[in-house]
Amino acid sequence: MPLINLPAFAPDLLAAFESLDTERVDTPVIQPAEPFLDIAGEDLRRRIFLTQSETGESLCLRPEFTIPVCLRHIETATGTPKRYAYLGEVFRQRREGGSEFYQAGIEDLGTRDFALADARAVADAMSVLTTLLPGRPLTVTMGDQAVFEAVVAALGLPAGWQKRLVRAFGEQSQLEALMLRLASPEHVTGLSPEIEALVETGDDEALVAHIDGVMQATGYLTNASRAPKDIARRLKDKLALAGASLDAAKLDILREFLSLNVSLRYAPGVLDDFAASTGLPLDAAVKAFDARVAAFANAGVKLSDITWRAAFGRPLDYYTGLVFEITMRGDHRVLAGGGRFDRMMSLLGAADDIPAVGFSLWLDRIEHAIEEGARA
Amino acid sequence: MTVTIALPSKGRMKEDASAILERAGYRITSVGNDRSYRGRVEGRDDIEIAFLSASEISREIGNGTVDFGVTGEDLVREGLARADERVEFCARLGFGHADVVVAVPEIWLDVETMADLGDVAADFRARHGRRLTIATKYWRLTQQFFSGNHGIQLYRIVESLGATEGAPASGSADIIVDITSTGSTLRANHLKILSDGVILKSEACLVRARKESHDSDPVVAEIVAAVRGAL
Repeated sequence: MPLINLPAFAPDLLAAFESLDTERVDTPVIQPAEPFLDIAGEDLRRRIFLTQSETGESLCLRPEFTIPVCLRHIETATGTPKRYAYLGEVFRQRREGGSEFYQAGIEDLGTRDFALADARAVADAMSVLTTLLPGRPLTVTMGDQAVFEAVVAALGLPAGWQKRLVRAFGEQSQLEALMLRLASPEHVTGLSPEIEALVETGDDEALVAHIDGVMQATGYLTNASRAPKDIARRLKDKLALAGASLDAAKLDILREFLSLNVSLRYAPGVLDDFAASTGLPLDAAVKAFDARVAAFANAGVKLSDITWRAAFGRPLDYYTGLVFEITMRGDHRVLAGGGRFDRMMSLLGAADDIPAVGFSLWLDRIEHAIEEGARA
Repeated sequence: MTVTIALPSKGRMKEDASAILERAGYRITSVGNDRSYRGRVEGRDDIEIAFLSASEISREIGNGTVDFGVTGEDLVREGLARADERVEFCARLGFGHADVVVAVPEIWLDVETMADLGDVAADFRARHGRRLTIATKYWRLTQQFFSGNHGIQLYRIVESLGATEGAPASGSADIIVDITSTGSTLRANHLKILSDGVILKSEACLVRARKESHDSDPVVAEIVAAVRGAL
């Protein structure tokens, strides 16, 4: 059945995708709900359209394309690298706009040259938008979790604290709360003298045996959830973390980093100055960052169109590096958004480690922008 | 215009709600027999009483099919999105106390706070091949508290319609979000409340549906003032 509500520019879009050396794929509109809730979290539940199969399996209307495209890739097992393009309807409740709308995009799976693949994702998104919105100035905001991770590691915090901060990356208020907490060491409370004594002796086996004994005695299965050794291990980690703090100077460094917000043209220099003035060992991260900037330039993206915001990220565990959003200059509506999600494929059950980067286009907002342009 | 007040249809809540209204000067009688689902206020033709189950009351206030209801704050906040835009909590009535809490197995010696739980949830998939699961009937409150207040996104809710506190021991979920008044059921099931794990301190409230017609209705204002005066 031909879809008559497709945006008028759909043929141009598909032609652009084809010229960008992609393979067009489609996925069923009705999808198993589990992968979406598992990967994106329970928060999504309120916004997707859920139903059940006759046998009680949880199903939903496709809320986005990335997960179905990745799942399809795993099922068809056609090898990497692959560049997939999609265009179709998605169903999701939003704050503004209707809850069924078209989305299109490209997912690049398995390209090992990260800088090249990142640059191509941004360049592709920019070129598609330029085709659809000729003569309208676009601007890209980008962030990079890898640089934040490197800064946090260089500050010398214990691994557990690094993970906490990285998890909150992109959520300014959560990060602020963690930094406040880091300003002063904390004391672990609530442990009974018996446990404290057990921990003190350093006898791990005795601690595990004690936990195991209590679980047995209180009727808890020791294999259904966290096992005695998991609890003992994290208890020791936690006691090690509790004493950790950052002095005011290092917290200032972290805050200074998070406030960086510059044109990508100057970003390598700014990052270099930041590393030099703070004395943090960031060589590897700076090098990877510079390589990506060079790749952007090679891919024909104008660096002056891109702003790097150090604090820009997404607090979901599958985003690992680049994130970006494209808007028209002076307009807050995001027309395209994307990023690197290297952990997604393994989370979805891929046997191999498959790096991935992609973007999606908000076609209803683009359509709106085209109409506004026609009226102006 | 007639103002409708929804009251709990049975149990302690029904008695306590009727007692407060009586102190406020509204003596309630059932229409027909004692177990009827409609009532009236003696001497007042302009007030109607509907006896409903506690969860129905929150839904009917949300729809605006009744003007007032007496029910637990937890049920209203769980049942209605953006509850404060749709209803007004006019008075806290001092009975039906229950806290909605996050409780974990006592033997999780390393978990005392939501931050600890965040650490555990983040690693759960890598260590156990699945997300941390929470048994609860409070979907909305759990999501708001975990995602909104504590930045914890990665967990799964397992719906529980009864005996939630038994889920961790039986292995059907890792932790729970449930109501407790004295904590004794939690203790009996070897669960502990996280130090910052109280999501809501709930009690029975007089709740008003926000309707424009209420602004000019003297009976609505009178009921609010009378109930507040009776506390």
